[in-house]
Amino acid sequence: MTTPSGEEREVKFLGGASIDGAPVAYIIVLAAVVTALSFIPFSVVMASGGSFPMAQGVYSLVGWVLGPIAGAVASGIGALIGVFLAPHTAGVAPVTVYGAVVAAFAAGTMVFGKLRSKWWIIAAVIGVGSIAFFFGRALFVNGVSLKAVVLGGASQWVGVLLFCLPTRNIFARWIASKNIGMVALGVFFGTWASFAVSHVAQSAITYYMFNWPEEVWMLLAGLVPVEYVSRCLIGAVIGAGVIAGLRAIGIVKPTYATY
Amino acid sequence: MSEIIAALDKVSYKYPRSSDFVLKNIDLTIRKGEFFGVIGPTGAGKTTLCLTLNGIVPQFYGGRFFGHVHVAGLDTLDHPISLMASHVGAVFDDPETQLIATSVENEIAFALENLLVSREEIMARIPRALAAVRLEGTEKKHPAELSGGQKQRLAIAAALAVQPDLLVLDEPTSQLDPVGAQEVFATVRELNKELGMTIVMASHAAEEMAEYSDRVALLSHGELAALGGPDEIYSQIERLLQNDLRPPEVASTFYLIQKKGGPIPKIPVWMGEGVETLKKVQKTCEITPPRENWTARTYGGEPLLSLKDLKHVYPDGTEALHGVSLEIREGEYVLIIGQNGAGKSTLVKHFLNLLKPTSGSVKVGGVETSQMTVSDLARRIGYVAQNPDNQIFNATVGEEVAFALKGLGYAAEEVESRTAESLAAMGLSEAREMHPLSLPKGDRARVVIAAILAMKPEIIIFDEPTTGQDYRGAKYILEISRQLHQMGKTVIVITHHLYLMPEYAERVLVMGKGTLLMDAPIREAYHAVKLLQSTFLMPPQAVLLTQELEKLKGQPLPKLLTPDELAGCFRCNHSGRIP
Repeated sequence: MTTPSGEEREVKFLGGASIDGAPVAYIIVLAAVVTALSFIPFSVVMASGGSFPMAQGVYSLVGWVLGPIAGAVASGIGALIGVFLAPHTAGVAPVTVYGAVVAAFAAGTMVFGKLRSKWWIIAAVIGVGSIAFFFGRALFVNGVSLKAVVLGGASQWVGVLLFCLPTRNIFARWIASKNIGMVALGVFFGTWASFAVSHVAQSAITYYMFNWPEEVWMLLAGLVPVEYVSRCLIGAVIGAGVIAGLRAIGIVKPTYATY
Repeated sequence: MSEIIAALDKVSYKYPRSSDFVLKNIDLTIRKGEFFGVIGPTGAGKTTLCLTLNGIVPQFYGGRFFGHVHVAGLDTLDHPISLMASHVGAVFDDPETQLIATSVENEIAFALENLLVSREEIMARIPRALAAVRLEGTEKKHPAELSGGQKQRLAIAAALAVQPDLLVLDEPTSQLDPVGAQEVFATVRELNKELGMTIVMASHAAEEMAEYSDRVALLSHGELAALGGPDEIYSQIERLLQNDLRPPEVASTFYLIQKKGGPIPKIPVWMGEGVETLKKVQKTCEITPPRENWTARTYGGEPLLSLKDLKHVYPDGTEALHGVSLEIREGEYVLIIGQNGAGKSTLVKHFLNLLKPTSGSVKVGGVETSQMTVSDLARRIGYVAQNPDNQIFNATVGEEVAFALKGLGYAAEEVESRTAESLAAMGLSEAREMHPLSLPKGDRARVVIAAILAMKPEIIIFDEPTTGQDYRGAKYILEISRQLHQMGKTVIVITHHLYLMPEYAERVLVMGKGTLLMDAPIREAYHAVKLLQSTFLMPPQAVLLTQELEKLKGQPLPKLLTPDELAGCFRCNHSGRIP
């Protein structure tokens, strides 16, 4: 190893062309990816009616690549443009944008080191608070049976539970693993957990708007897990490839990236 | 002494994930108005050095940085890249990756808009920048409509419009054909000589760098191994070869003659000097043509590839091939040369059935390609594209090599054995689980070749395999082509780098404007200098010196191709008298 004879300098990125440690160029590129995937309808039915965009599979990935703040910004901008350009997948447009922001933020808080190790609590409060409102309204206002709520909302409450438990850190550790198979696994379950936080946050609003009956809850019991698996598979396939590629080309890593 | 525009003081730098320093205690200064060359093998630190001048290293990449870099009086670590960009213009190797706007004028305006230059000023600078690179009249064109050389000149114009103190060019001609490279060198030289622009250029183009540079820095393993005038640096042949750098052929030739006792006090490094030196040396040395038998090898049997009156007209009406007829036999090593647009790629695409003849016939192994599917041909013909990265899309080297085999329906055991065999043949067994893009470019080309070898094709086509490679990388790939040829494969190489091919190719097809201008053994083709120049190809300097020597001596010489062969004709004693 060479011994440098010059004075060691503090290396910092000057000029402000970054948000929370992520270069603006990355944010633009990933926002564009979210917008592009917003064009692709991914499922015929969702609780709020209509189809939802394939971009839902990558909201969380954007959080892991850029960190919670920059990820939320990229995901939110991408989704915002997406609802205008691809209204056929927008659902309730403001809720879609809100969901994109929450999913990327929640994913970005999934860390296993000391850096921002408590930020997950913010996402957990959003998740638990939303689930309490969502399920509480169904049970106590609309009179939906406990069985229907537990089964119909199983994917969501299981996901939020995975997010609040230390499993969150395990998924983050897998995403940072050198083994690309572990990365894919981490992205799969990480997408499930972080998107569940976003999903209940959205559902708290859409359920307040639409108040779907017990029959729909029972229908969702079969449908939503399939949608979750598909969404997480999309995340795992795209995410593992993107993370492997980013590592291979050695591009500068945003400060709060998980990968 | 001229004013110093850039100064590096004890600069060392380590990328975040590199195990060692990429730059090591570099001390150098660049003077205003200077044409400063940076040379060195791949991995020597040339690009990193260029990037320190505008602060991208270390500000964008991070890592550990020691020492100071001052450009136009500004410390590059204390000022944002956006400010440094107004002092340092940067042009990189691939013009395609630098152009983002939808018109030539918007491309030039882009950086200016970002620097908040007023509209009036932008409108005034656009024509000036275009005039400086001789692109007037293209303002409204889409950059995609420009040729490779024009695109690179546009990138230079965009950098110039900012009115930088320093223009940094990192391998600006490595992706260009000879015409494009000549355009870029002529433009840069004009900017330097006529406008006094300070130029820092990293390049492997030894002949041009020797001719145009005022000073040259030789980097080796991140250290400044030598610094001096081009005559000083390029005349140190052994040092260049030790660093995997190709000396200009004129320098190699006279170095070898000097070693044989030729009276050469100073080794010339560019052609004009070389001709003058030749005039003097040929008077004091005996010229004895070598006795080697250089008769071209002939190949018998049925043709493996044959074209008859092949014509191709593209849907837009462009006539790309006009009745080309030729035959290639099993085991041949054929070189196809010609400027961009000569029809080389169109020709090769017919071999692969990627294009159908408008008229005429194409046969592979005696069977019309129209009767064969692309996958049939893929088993018989392997194609290595110019940029190996475009052919790589799997996550590991092993998967990449096995991919086509699986697609062609081979059994799992066969896929495994062929993959292992191919990886071993290309020396990639240990890289099997690595991501292909994590390998150096030369190795990425080997991954593509291994994937092709796994299909056991009879013919392997290399399309511009040496573009963007340094001397070591280029030789490495060509050695693989030689190895394949020795294994009995038919090898077809398309390249503009004529100087690299004498050791390998046997037969040359010279294409021009969609016709086959010449089909001859390599010695004959390389000495058809006027014909080569008519299609903008530059014969190697050893060929030009041979012809110059013939004129001076008034006696015919064999058709020599390399500095070794030419120097071998000289019989000199150490006193410089004819023995």
